[in-house]
Amino acid sequence: MMNAVTLRTEVHEQVEKIGSADIVVGIPSFNNANTISHVVRAVQAGLAKYFPTRRAVIVNSDGGSSDGTMEVVRNASIEDFSAILLHHRVEPISRIAFPYSGIPGKGSAFRSIFEIARTLEAKACVVVDSDLRSITPEWIELLVKPVLEDGYDYVAPLYHRHKFDGTITNSIVYPLTRALYGKRVRQPIGGDFGFSGRVAGFYLSKDVWESDVARFGIDIWMTTTAIANGFRIAQSFLGAKIHDAKDPGADLSSMLYQVVSANFDLMEEYAGVWMPVHGSEPVPTFGFQYTVGLEHVPVNTGRMLGLFREGLNNLREIWLGILGAGDFREVERLGALADDAFCFPIGLWTRVIYDYAIAFHHNKLPPEHLIKSLTPLYLGKTASFILAAANMEGAEAEAEIEKLCKAFEDNKEYLVMSWSKHKGDQT
Amino acid sequence: MMDFLNLIFEPLQAVFQTFRVFLPNFLAMLVIMLLGILVAWLIKFIVVKSLHAVHFDSWSDRMGFTALIRKGDVWSRPSAMLGSITFWFLIILTLMIGLGALKIPAIDSLVEQVVGYMPRAFSAAVILIVGYVVAGFVSQGVLIAAVNSGYHYAKLIAGALRILLMVLILAMAMEQLQIAPSIVLAAFSIIFGGIVAALSISFGVGGIEAARRMIERETAEKPDAGKAKDEIDPL
Repeated sequence: MMNAVTLRTEVHEQVEKIGSADIVVGIPSFNNANTISHVVRAVQAGLAKYFPTRRAVIVNSDGGSSDGTMEVVRNASIEDFSAILLHHRVEPISRIAFPYSGIPGKGSAFRSIFEIARTLEAKACVVVDSDLRSITPEWIELLVKPVLEDGYDYVAPLYHRHKFDGTITNSIVYPLTRALYGKRVRQPIGGDFGFSGRVAGFYLSKDVWESDVARFGIDIWMTTTAIANGFRIAQSFLGAKIHDAKDPGADLSSMLYQVVSANFDLMEEYAGVWMPVHGSEPVPTFGFQYTVGLEHVPVNTGRMLGLFREGLNNLREIWLGILGAGDFREVERLGALADDAFCFPIGLWTRVIYDYAIAFHHNKLPPEHLIKSLTPLYLGKTASFILAAANMEGAEAEAEIEKLCKAFEDNKEYLVMSWSKHKGDQT
Repeated sequence: MMDFLNLIFEPLQAVFQTFRVFLPNFLAMLVIMLLGILVAWLIKFIVVKSLHAVHFDSWSDRMGFTALIRKGDVWSRPSAMLGSITFWFLIILTLMIGLGALKIPAIDSLVEQVVGYMPRAFSAAVILIVGYVVAGFVSQGVLIAAVNSGYHYAKLIAGALRILLMVLILAMAMEQLQIAPSIVLAAFSIIFGGIVAALSISFGVGGIEAARRMIERETAEKPDAGKAKDEIDPL
């Protein structure tokens, strides 16, 4: 039964001892000793409160932490369940914490979780980030119930976020995924997902675990694979997403490269799926939506626009080759605008992203150079949004994102036409 | 009378004798050439098909090799160009072997020299092509990284790096071709050292004002950058 190649012998033994489970909750980690205890306790409480009769396993798939993350997971527990529960849990919750094998990355951590879920014949799985500070027991209910009780295969998260947060998601990933595949999944790379055992098995059957998916881009890969293969999709409102401050050394252009290249790679794989799609439709949404108080997010649009203009001065030839003379002239015109008058038109931004997707498809530049050259344009677009949304309420800012999504949908024909052109015509 | 006739026929006989010896060699050369052309054509066909199979043209587009050959006014696809290079290389090789079959000492010596030089010429060509692609790749990567890091002189840095790499690659290729190696080495040292010295002098003495402006420009914006850091979570 247990034929997973990525699991160690001791993990095999633990899994075999458990036998089977209804719910598997996976927590990938790497040096998260400070935060993972809260996550494990929230998951335990969620399982105890909402699924007291279901057999559940918490799986910590660790990337070789040196700060004792796995020890924290093994020892984390809720001292007194009676303080949070009205009745006692019937089934015990098993826990497995192990270092995963394979290429270092979140994708490899997830692969081990999927393998354990398959072996335990889990009906529902959840994955949550290990650096979450805002996770509550309700997250488990909201991510598991649509799978266990309503027959959904994939549940994406829906958060309330500060209007300036999630700029890569808001300006690229969400509009692009929505226009391509026709489903309005608001947080396609949210990081906290629920899915059925059937989908976990399907993911394992894909030959991607030695590719970049194992290192980065697993979130968008999971969402897109589920949508493109016709699985039933839903989303659940989880409230605010607050997590550990991101690594200050993390490079924006590397982040952009990882997310956008994963998106573009999937466009290659599912060209036959997204090409005929027109418009988009909402996906069922679970959970009671409420307003969340969000912390102020400091931004420096002057710095962003400075980098945009540096890009315009230095990357002229590269941008001209990717965008073409017409759109490049429009970008050039933006460079001459004063900071307070700066506005990146949404139609132009849509064509920029589509032009980059086409350039990626036609191999115009090495992928990393190509996508990293998008960084100044992305900063220009982000600064433009921040300036426009400075005095807006959250709902108004969301309406701006909705307009952008519509523009992506309306301009999709341009992408389809250019995509289909023979590669030789592009040189 | 007989002596006179002998005087006439002996050279003719000698010529005929030489021709009898030469004719099989000449026929052998023709056969070698004919077979060589056929084999060269066949290998060209295999090379082009193999390059198509591994998407060499797309790779060349990405690495800037296509742009390089376009600058040289070559408008065929890189795979077709490499196929043609292979074809003509094999034709030259066939010609050398064919001429060798004639067994003429002067030609043999020439062929030996040319064949002996071929590996060096081939290595130099490979160094130049690979070097050009690598220099383009590295300088483009540096340009993009420098722009994304906010350096004002990104293009200058990337351009200077590209020139330095090309100088290094040219020196390596010429060293491989054994063209006045000591002069090449000396020239390379002078140019490389000269660039470094020129930069030091221009920054230290001649371009002190320009250097000051550049340094001031780089440092001037740092306090502003620190004043309001972005704390956006982009994902």
